[in-house]
Amino acid sequence: MKRRRWKFLLPLALLLAGSTFATSGALATTEQSVVKIAVVTDCKGAFAFGYELDIGGANAAFAQFAGGTPNNKKKPSAGITGATAGGADLTFTGYGCGDDTPGTMLKEIRRLMVQQDADVMLGPLSGDEAVATANWAKSHPDKTVIIGTAASQDPTMQIAPKNLFRYYGDGAQWNAGIGEIVYKKWGWRKAAIIMDDYSFAWTSGAGIIVDFCASGGKITKRVFPPLNTTDYSSYVRQLPSPDDVDGYFWVIGGTGTDPAFKAFEQAYGPLKAKQHSGNLFLWFLTGAAVAPKLRGAYIGGFGIGPGLKTAAASKYRAVMKKWYPTIPAEDSFTLNYYRGAHALVLGLEKSKGQVGAALQKALPRVIDDPYQVASGGKVRLDSRRQAVQDQYAMQINPTGKFGIRTFGYVPNVDQTFGGSFAPNKPAPGRNFPPCVKKKLPWQGKIQAVVNGKITKQFIK
Amino acid sequence: MSLDPKTLTERLIGVGMLVVAVLAPSLFNEFWLDAILTQTLIFGIAAASLIFLNAYGGMISLAQTALMGVAGYALGNMVSQGGAGGESKGLALGWDPTTALIVAIVVTTIVGFVFGAVSSRSYGIYFLMLTLTFGVTANLFFGSVTKLGGFSPIAGIDRRTPGFVGDVVNDRERLYYIALVSAVVAYFLIRYLTRTPFGLSLRGIRDEPLRMASLGYAVPLHRMLAFAFAGLLAGVAGVLAAWWNGQISPSDLGLVATINLLVMAVIGGLARIEGAWLGAFAFIVINNEVTNRIPSDGLWYVGGTFNTVVGLVFLAIVVISPDGLMGIWERIWSFARRRGGPPALTVEVAEPAAGAPSS
Repeated sequence: MKRRRWKFLLPLALLLAGSTFATSGALATTEQSVVKIAVVTDCKGAFAFGYELDIGGANAAFAQFAGGTPNNKKKPSAGITGATAGGADLTFTGYGCGDDTPGTMLKEIRRLMVQQDADVMLGPLSGDEAVATANWAKSHPDKTVIIGTAASQDPTMQIAPKNLFRYYGDGAQWNAGIGEIVYKKWGWRKAAIIMDDYSFAWTSGAGIIVDFCASGGKITKRVFPPLNTTDYSSYVRQLPSPDDVDGYFWVIGGTGTDPAFKAFEQAYGPLKAKQHSGNLFLWFLTGAAVAPKLRGAYIGGFGIGPGLKTAAASKYRAVMKKWYPTIPAEDSFTLNYYRGAHALVLGLEKSKGQVGAALQKALPRVIDDPYQVASGGKVRLDSRRQAVQDQYAMQINPTGKFGIRTFGYVPNVDQTFGGSFAPNKPAPGRNFPPCVKKKLPWQGKIQAVVNGKITKQFIK
Repeated sequence: MSLDPKTLTERLIGVGMLVVAVLAPSLFNEFWLDAILTQTLIFGIAAASLIFLNAYGGMISLAQTALMGVAGYALGNMVSQGGAGGESKGLALGWDPTTALIVAIVVTTIVGFVFGAVSSRSYGIYFLMLTLTFGVTANLFFGSVTKLGGFSPIAGIDRRTPGFVGDVVNDRERLYYIALVSAVVAYFLIRYLTRTPFGLSLRGIRDEPLRMASLGYAVPLHRMLAFAFAGLLAGVAGVLAAWWNGQISPSDLGLVATINLLVMAVIGGLARIEGAWLGAFAFIVINNEVTNRIPSDGLWYVGGTFNTVVGLVFLAIVVISPDGLMGIWERIWSFARRRGGPPALTVEVAEPAAGAPSS
């Protein structure tokens, strides 16, 4: 009888142990003795390569401005310890792992911001994730969100919750000036645009469209391949032939960029660099078979001026080299998380370690930025807590090592593009914005950048 | 009528679980109530629709997540409002939330019926592949048709709910109880349906479709109606999930979400409806706990992310008990019976009234 009793007690004990393990977090109470930070990026999906870069950027700022010490200088995700700001210890509730989908991002937000009760979120990485995050933030005003490096327009324009901040430009701002440059340098008057069918690409494409059309150019065709398309032949066939337009703007990202260009070549013959422009996605073509054929092409920026010879940019590069020598500093995946973490430390210093509304009030509305030259090197946030920031147009190196160089400088670009975008207007989409000739604040004032130095010459 | 000890124990556990569920807001913290228990109840309903099709119709459907998505997208497009401060994605029709709720569930039921009509003459692997096709198609459809949302989420669904539902944004207990009532109703509805002549003939079709057809039963029609009923349940789950999430995006009905629902049902046990909520609970808790405890950048031994660990845990469950967690329960009883069993508990209960379904 005694033996039989054990046979029932053992499974019962195991069941109880399992339940205790499972519910260990369920009945626990939380304490607010430190500031809990959730750094959220992608470790899966198309942008998983940004995982260490993002965390590296954030950690470098926490090391530089909050006295933290990286646990492993070659692997940022190994964490950082000893950071303090405003008298509060900064602890990290783990690194969030998204996969560029809104659903996974919401799951990670619940885990890190609700279950682990983080006070501040630094992230996410991708456009639609940021749309989901902004909507979540709207319902959680006591939590503070500083967007990581996502660049869709909606989070700080149409949604714009008061507890959400972005210390760099959105995808449209990054492209300020590129339309005018191809209009002037290569004489484009009619162009077609092909862009991924989702938030970031719409925002990025919107910047190109407004800039090009404002100069007097016409967009004669807009084509939208779904995200993750592998065969672009049918979409490329929808584009007008090279005889009918002066050029093409490409906003096809990730693994799609190279096959999209290949499909174009199959349809219309070899690429001619003077007929092609696009957004930052073309930065990542290095190594692609089509890349050498695009030498000399002008492309949009990424909120950073690689190689810029200013004291602030040099200092930033040195900071990154000090804390994470193997992480590329001049990549906005790194830099934008650095910017957000820097702002957070300043905010906590001002709020004396208080979070919630006090932190939201204390977060800087004007902040030093490594690549800001105008306004004394200080980036300003607008009324929707979105950065007004200097932008840089790029050119694929015409000769020498394949890569990009900073070509043009556009000071203080704001999110509205001279009223083209507004909270009461639709977010960028398939049919918005329209192609309209208009005056933009930076029109005719794009300064040439030569060998990393901003000149006083305007691009003609 | 006397109840055998197993049935009696199950009923006592059921009542106990219900009591715990009713008292849950006082017992658990905000995260557990909202992210674990509410989610369990919602996905349990969807998993129950899958188990219903399998246990009583012999159909393993991979379209239930897609049907949830249809309901979520229908609701999202109908209730969301555009303009300044409104939603930037979807049709943003701004309909009355009650009308939108009814239309969303009706539309999902109709879509379920259509899915059923197309697949009703297929069996086994062909049926499985057809329903998988429905799932993939729905994902691509909502991702590609940007007028209905595209890849970006349609948000604000939780901010416009019918009056009888109330504020589910700030009052998450309310949403929990709505999910609980829906789950209880869904459970008893399935139990009732399976005891009706329709349910009994469905069981016959599951076991001997040819014989049932030769007896004059409209086999495809039965299967279509079963699929429509499962669509209704998935629709309810889809609406609740949209309120719970506040938004809907294609990833909510993608391949991963489809497989996740199947895993919930398999872990719980594909033979019994109760397994739906048990499986959903186990899946969500294991997923959450493993995610919290394993570094997200990979494990030295398995070289993958936490998904690898989650997969291994589920593999272990299925290997130990091919019938899922409910199968373990059944085995414990058969083991106890073989070894003499626990003390026999026999309780006399009143005979049911004439005409009432017997258990």
